[in-house]
Amino acid sequence: MRLLIIEDEPGIARFLKEGLEEEHFAVDTAFDGESGLELGMSNDYDLCLIDWMLPKLSGIEVCRQLRKAGSAVPVIFLTARDTLDDVVFGLGAGADDYVKKPFAFEELLARIRARLRQNTPTTGPLTAGALWLDPETHRAGCNRHDLTLTPKEFALLEYLLRNLDRVCTRSRIIEHVWDIHFDADTSVIDVYVNFLRRKLEAAGCTGLIKTVRGVGYVIRTPEANNEEKSNE
Amino acid sequence: MSLRNRIAVYYTAATAVLIALVFTTVYLMVEGVVYRHFDQELTMAAARVVSITDGRLNDRRPMEMEDSDREKEDDEHRKHRRERLRTEFIQYSAADGTPISRSGNLGLNALQVKTGSTATIYFNTTVGGLAVRQIQLPVEGNGDPQPRWISVARPLGDAIAMLLDLRSVLMLSFPAILITLFALTRAIAAKSIRPVEEAIMAAENITREHFERRIPLPANRDELYRLSATFNALLDRLQEAFNREKQFTADASHELKTPLSAVQGTLEVLIRRPREREHYEERIRFCLLELHRMAGLIEQLLLLARHDAREVSATLRSIDINALIREVAERQESRAGEKEISIRVPEESSFIVAADREMLGIILDNIIANAVNYSPRSRTVTIRTGTENGLPFCTISDMGKGIEESKLEAVFERFYRVDASRSIGSGGSGLGLSIVKKLADLQGITVRAESRPGEGATFRLLFPYPSDSSSR
Repeated sequence: MRLLIIEDEPGIARFLKEGLEEEHFAVDTAFDGESGLELGMSNDYDLCLIDWMLPKLSGIEVCRQLRKAGSAVPVIFLTARDTLDDVVFGLGAGADDYVKKPFAFEELLARIRARLRQNTPTTGPLTAGALWLDPETHRAGCNRHDLTLTPKEFALLEYLLRNLDRVCTRSRIIEHVWDIHFDADTSVIDVYVNFLRRKLEAAGCTGLIKTVRGVGYVIRTPEANNEEKSNE
Repeated sequence: MSLRNRIAVYYTAATAVLIALVFTTVYLMVEGVVYRHFDQELTMAAARVVSITDGRLNDRRPMEMEDSDREKEDDEHRKHRRERLRTEFIQYSAADGTPISRSGNLGLNALQVKTGSTATIYFNTTVGGLAVRQIQLPVEGNGDPQPRWISVARPLGDAIAMLLDLRSVLMLSFPAILITLFALTRAIAAKSIRPVEEAIMAAENITREHFERRIPLPANRDELYRLSATFNALLDRLQEAFNREKQFTADASHELKTPLSAVQGTLEVLIRRPREREHYEERIRFCLLELHRMAGLIEQLLLLARHDAREVSATLRSIDINALIREVAERQESRAGEKEISIRVPEESSFIVAADREMLGIILDNIIANAVNYSPRSRTVTIRTGTENGLPFCTISDMGKGIEESKLEAVFERFYRVDASRSIGSGGSGLGLSIVKKLADLQGITVRAESRPGEGATFRLLFPYPSDSSSR
């Protein structure tokens, strides 16, 4: 899951990036409205955290222009402005949620997860057959066997599970799992997929991640898998 | 009582007095005319009686005209005389009012005699139930010192009926006019105060949420127009103050909550998992710095609040500003040193001005810190003191990028920053110069920003009292 943070206060931007990266999000930061909008327009983010009072272009304006350009990316406002009018105005400008400064990091995290869940409308762990992955607790496993995954492996598996039965192209995987500082060499995905497959096999889940030749990867639900087999 | 009722009542009461006055005058004039006519006739009749009966008043004969006189008259006069005789009552009375002789038409009735008066008088009375106007004339009785009386009376007849009619017409029309007038005035008053009621309704709709609403101005440029316009102007000023206050609160809360969020978030993320010792130290140092910044801001806010509430007053004393400048410059030395900025203080060892020592210290602290902040590396901040038109001044100049002319006033506003992006780089709170302005005002010091873009900025303090030249 890849997030964009637009926040002019370096102290706040730093702890947000650090904390969210530790939660296995890929995080990009921008320190003013203009560069934030540019990033938001040119990348496919899963969620944006935007401060209201920004130099060059206000957070409200960034949000409006994103919406005008047809982007449906979830937007959470982070702001010290806390009157009822401000909240109503902010949500009216196209934000999906509104977090008042100062906020508890855990609350922000919960709100981000809640927003992301709306794209995959389930609570609790993501599953495919015997495989399960819980984004809240950072644990994944196969039946009773726990998997020990690196943050990137975890993020990759989470992304594939969130897009169950949908083929994820290499470029989309790069966009959502790695941040902007990553050199867009898609072969690294194949390496990570191989690591994942080996760990899954060791835990007893074989052949879950399918390669779609020339396109990317997909995890299919057992039902879809059976259909495929019967067609063969 | 509502305004329109009060207007109607006052107006009607005033008119009632006026109409009563007019009606009374009219009635009295008509009455006067009628009585004067009667009185003339009665005077003539009395004179005739006196001339006819002169010297024969003692005779008991009925008072009739001599036959010879009668013959002289033609028919017309005779007829007239008969008519008059029938309606004219004549009586000759003794001093005590007892009739000595009277005209036949009186029969057994007697005319009233008012013995109290010694002059000729006219009055209304009745004789045998008939309303009459009467003259009473004193005459000499044969050597008698007491006067005797000749009374002549004529029935008032139609005249009294006319006067009574007139009176009842006036009496009836008086309340009718007043009632009509009251109703009319009420209606007119209601119509003319309707704009006032509209203004009241418009004013009631101006609330916190809809502060931008105004009272519609009436078409006529009358007093109501002026009232509404004045009221709107007052509202404009109120709204401006209200917005300034709101902006200040929003700015202050932003400035406080931003470092607070940074500290809270940093610490929360920090304790989520074990980390390297250096990492802890770096983050804690960052938090302390932020807390320091907040403490400074809170102190400035309290300072502003205290001066807004006028809890503090300036105590002007003769102080050595040059010594104070050296003190402040020393305090700023460490920060200036980081940017290799040198602070040049005045050469004279002392220069006396009238100011509040503590307040002037805060002013110089803020302006000099500001100059250091906005100076590029390795430049000089110059402080000068001197006399201009007999009054002392102090200037603090930096070699920064200066301030645009249009923003020279605005730099003294709260939370105003020349650089629109807050908190990046310069690091001030945005309150410093507004505190300077406030404290300067309290001491009567004029503070001005002067600048040409690209050539740095100069802040000039002008003191209101001449410096003590002997102590220089």
